Amino acid sequence: MMSLSETIWAVVKILIMVGFLFNVGGLLTWLDRRQSAMIQDRIGPNRAVIKVFGIEFRLGGLLHPLADGVKFFFKEDFIPPRGDKLLFAVAPILVMAPVLALIAVIPFGDKLCVDDLWRTTDTGSLLFPAVPRYGSCLIPVARGGIAAIDLQVASLNVGILYVFALAGQGIVGAALAGWSSDNKFSLLGALRAASQMVSYEVTIGMSLVGALMIYGSVRMGDMVRWQGDHAWGIFIQPLAFFMFFMAAVAESKRIPFDLPEAESELVSGYFTEYSGMKFGMFYFAEYMEVVTSSMLLVTIFLGGWQLPFLHRDGLTIDIGTWRALQLPMNHLTVTAIQVCTFFGKVLFLCWIQCFVRWSLPRFRYDQLMKLCWRILLPLSLANILVTGVVYLLLDHAGPVLGNTLQMIGDLTQAVVAIAITYFVLSIVIGLIRPTRRTSWVVGSTAKLAQRFGGTPRSPRMQA
Amino acid sequence: MNVIGSLYFYVCAAVAIAGAIATVTARNPIRGAVSLLVMVVSIAGLFLALSAEFLAAIQLIVYAGAIVVLFLFVIMILGESSSSVHDKKRIVSRTLAAALLGAVSLGAIVLVVGVSTPLQAPRIRAGFGGIDAIGRALFSDWVVPFELSSALLMVAVLGAVAIAKGDIKRPLESAATTPGSASEEQP
Amino acid sequence: MLSTYAPMFMIIAIATLIAGLFYTFATVLGPKNPTPEKMMPFECGSDSVGSRGVKLSVKFYLTAILFVVFDIEAVFVYPWAIQFRQLGWFGLASMIGFLSVVAIALVYVWRKGALEWES
Repeated sequence: MMSLSETIWAVVKILIMVGFLFNVGGLLTWLDRRQSAMIQDRIGPNRAVIKVFGIEFRLGGLLHPLADGVKFFFKEDFIPPRGDKLLFAVAPILVMAPVLALIAVIPFGDKLCVDDLWRTTDTGSLLFPAVPRYGSCLIPVARGGIAAIDLQVASLNVGILYVFALAGQGIVGAALAGWSSDNKFSLLGALRAASQMVSYEVTIGMSLVGALMIYGSVRMGDMVRWQGDHAWGIFIQPLAFFMFFMAAVAESKRIPFDLPEAESELVSGYFTEYSGMKFGMFYFAEYMEVVTSSMLLVTIFLGGWQLPFLHRDGLTIDIGTWRALQLPMNHLTVTAIQVCTFFGKVLFLCWIQCFVRWSLPRFRYDQLMKLCWRILLPLSLANILVTGVVYLLLDHAGPVLGNTLQMIGDLTQAVVAIAITYFVLSIVIGLIRPTRRTSWVVGSTAKLAQRFGGTPRSPRMQA
Repeated sequence: MNVIGSLYFYVCAAVAIAGAIATVTARNPIRGAVSLLVMVVSIAGLFLALSAEFLAAIQLIVYAGAIVVLFLFVIMILGESSSSVHDKKRIVSRTLAAALLGAVSLGAIVLVVGVSTPLQAPRIRAGFGGIDAIGRALFSDWVVPFELSSALLMVAVLGAVAIAKGDIKRPLESAATTPGSASEEQP
Repeated sequence: MLSTYAPMFMIIAIATLIAGLFYTFATVLGPKNPTPEKMMPFECGSDSVGSRGVKLSVKFYLTAILFVVFDIEAVFVYPWAIQFRQLGWFGLASMIGFLSVVAIALVYVWRKGALEWES
């Protein structure tokens, strides 16, 4: 049986992860609309308003997801009369629940030593101890210490396989939704969705093998630790990263892979006949899938909770054998930074996915299947082969090469550190700098035309 | 085994049996497939109780994720013609066959339970049933069966292509043929 | 033994509960006002013609079979990938043997035109 403290910790971790997933999923519905508005030079959602003491708060449209949620619940409920009513009810639950449950094995921080977060000394002042880089807590369990807590909901040995096991259930949900709706378009959408998802699940599975060979573990905590000690997965398996990214976008059935719900062809695909929040469940599950796939990508390829050179015992900049800087930090600070890092990286990838969604047109169905079976699958098989050969060759090469590799790994960490610094700085500067709003899409087209002597129709077109 | 453990076992076992019965008795093929899914998931739960974690995950990935999806695909492709025509003719012979099969397996269980001494569950080592243990066993003692299984997979693909042979070049989606208009559909 | 999995069961239970509540609330809170027109399947506003079934290409079936095959293949590949460092060249050779047979199957399907979706 679980002890009380274990149960409380499990509940806290579930609340953190599910809470994050829910909130970011909701935020993404707003971000998606806001981002599309920016890209298409519109204003975007800004009408939802909340009145507090006569003052109207719009919060840049942030209230829209909330208003949508409330509205969804009070929309007319519809069940197709000739459909299968039981399966019609099961389908949205089968789509939504796995997305929520599969975050159980994703770690959002390194092992947490509760005892070592802070300590009160005899004089009553607070003390923030540091912990060693490897090994667990300062007080071992044998001497009465509390065991280190994994910052992941369930530390299963099967790790990533648990994710695949649950993700497969979503396919069944989509297929059932289409079948039980009693609608041609739903059925077509369901079949397209199912065949797209199974195809790209193969790619997801096979593209990961190369990374697993190098990490030597399916446990996601181990993968992250390996990346912290050596180099991030994106540098070691760049091809796998892009294939996994592509397949993950395809799995979430968003543009450019949104054929199962292509509005111009199939109304809304397999959930055409769903109304109100039942539709909202599919819609919301899609956004949550964006978050979970970002979490997977971050954990497997982008170092999870790791920041370059930040280890459990503090900041240590090592390039090869040369130690540039060593700055010990206490456990509380390091843990806080690492947890924030993980969620920050997830948010960044979510934003990238929204950007992709609004930048690309939809694939044709044959292109979609061709990309999967005829390009990505052979590539992932080749990736396994090349990874195997290169790894074994390097393994036998001797210590000189090993040191060089470690040096290269440290250099990639340095590159990442510089990139992150630049990115954060540019965000801060961008937020501080005053913006001047101009409708630049129309303006720039006209300006461009004028610079090249006007268009044939209007030679002296004014900007 | 403690109370919760046995309770867990009985719940999983009961759900598995109920799912199995529903699979064979369901009139609607899709409901049959969903019942199969229920059964497969509860069997994965039983694997978990035996600390065969990897096997449980595989059960879900291959059976629940792939096999059931394949069934759903076939049922959806066949459409309404996949609904079984309820034939009453062979109900007697079917019942007879089921009873015979049930009696034989029950006899086998009784025989095994009666003959063998009560099993003392061996204490399992750490890492038992994990992916490492399976990998080590698969690539030390069982390499040849492993290589041969690839041939099985290939045969499965070849068989599927052979079945689908004539229809591969047909368009992806076309309107359903009602009995009257069937002749118009032929190319 | 089962207590290791307790958090996993907890999150699965919570996820199912949340999804179930969403569905229940949508059913309970939503008004119901069915009219004959509303109960028709929505097919872009035009009347639904013919039976509900759609005649579908057998390629969908082949895709499903290929998926099953590659899923089972992945099941073998994962334990291998974890043990890869210990197995060395021997392991790599045995996996290449395995993968090449499956790859032949893929090439065969390809050549037979089952991966041509352009029609």
